[in-house]
Amino acid sequence: MSEQKEQRGAVDKFSHSIKSSQIWRSIFRHGYPDTPLNQSLIMMGNVFLHLHPVKMSKQALKVTYTWCLGGISFFLFLVLTITGVFLMFYYVPASSLAYTDVQSMSTTIAFGEIVRNMHRWAAHLMVITVSLHMIRVFYHGAYKPPREFNWVIGVVLFLLTLLLSFTGYLLPWDEIGVIAIQVGSAMASFAPIVGAAMHRTLIGGLEQSPTGNTLIRFYTLHVLFLPLVAAVMMAVHFWRIRKDGGAAGPPPPSIREEAIKEEEIKKELILSR
Amino acid sequence: MATTTTPAPSAQKRYRTLAVVKQESVTRIERQLEESVFVWPHLLVREFLAAVLMTIVLTLLSIFIAAPLHVRFNPNFPPPAVEKAPWYFLGLQELLHYFPPTLAGVLLPGWMLIGLAAIPYIDNNPSRAYADRKLAITLFTMFIVFNVVIIIIGSFFRGGGWVWTWPWVGEFFNL
Repeated sequence: MSEQKEQRGAVDKFSHSIKSSQIWRSIFRHGYPDTPLNQSLIMMGNVFLHLHPVKMSKQALKVTYTWCLGGISFFLFLVLTITGVFLMFYYVPASSLAYTDVQSMSTTIAFGEIVRNMHRWAAHLMVITVSLHMIRVFYHGAYKPPREFNWVIGVVLFLLTLLLSFTGYLLPWDEIGVIAIQVGSAMASFAPIVGAAMHRTLIGGLEQSPTGNTLIRFYTLHVLFLPLVAAVMMAVHFWRIRKDGGAAGPPPPSIREEAIKEEEIKKELILSR
Repeated sequence: MATTTTPAPSAQKRYRTLAVVKQESVTRIERQLEESVFVWPHLLVREFLAAVLMTIVLTLLSIFIAAPLHVRFNPNFPPPAVEKAPWYFLGLQELLHYFPPTLAGVLLPGWMLIGLAAIPYIDNNPSRAYADRKLAITLFTMFIVFNVVIIIIGSFFRGGGWVWTWPWVGEFFNL
């Protein structure tokens, strides 16, 4: 019994000496967030957490209110970034190499197949979750003041999600991907006035079907340009949520329902007299 | 009170901005304080669990379903029976079947996006209650249903030459 106590004392002493060391205190500037003060300090002092408010309304916290759709979309973006970097180590964006490189993901590269699968399915899922998030926000009327402009940023992020997925579709350089991009790029050529220029810019030349030039353009858009723009827009999107007082919360009762309630209260008051 | 004497520079007070509080935000914060909880741990634990759940779903999907990789593209080979865009653009491709390309391929999607972005500025109804927003909800629901239907038609009911093809007759859908 006393031995156990002594042992625990030694562990406590050890952990205390670590936590009071200069190294520990230089990394963690406050204690474990189990007190209101530390729960506030961690949200304000941590760069990753500070996009969240310190406190939020209980109603907006319900999973059945947001269905976590925005958060899941962001999480999928992170998964896509990590798996995408992995794929970049092995993939060369040249029309002569791209197809065999993607093929070798499932044959010679360790974990290549599952990482490519995760990248593919996360991309499709993200298009779905972003769309559902937008639909959810509309039905809750959460785009109303003061959140109007954040809705606009959301629409831009929706478009960026589609473009990210679309530019990635070409990269395996298989028949389905190239044909899909040919069909999609052809649509751009029908834009009034700028159509021909847009098509030339996308395809990277005067050809009708994608070439090696198209591949390097779509690759650069896919791995660098669009993710960077999306990351900046996401930062603004999240920051504005916090500045507008967090998630809007479930819609209040309607004007008519409120009026009925007031009537009832009045009646009760009259009766109680 | 008007003073003509200017204080010496050392006597001038220096101000630091600690916070800018707008009238509107004060009321919002007051309302929140009544029934608010700390984000750590209440929200973060939910976000963490959602991320874990998503990781499990994604891992299982990726273990059991392989990402498609079709034959290598060769410009000298004849194109496949049906030329389809990625699934989220198949609604637009379906519209392309009915309207001229400038309208279906560029103007309509452009208007849809601009229309979506303009919703908060068109919808001046201040109420967020469902019962007060019947028109907005009806119109938006119609918009969503329309898009879902044309995407499903484009995905599963169109075959070679964009001819109507029942899904049990031939499947022309790629992910």
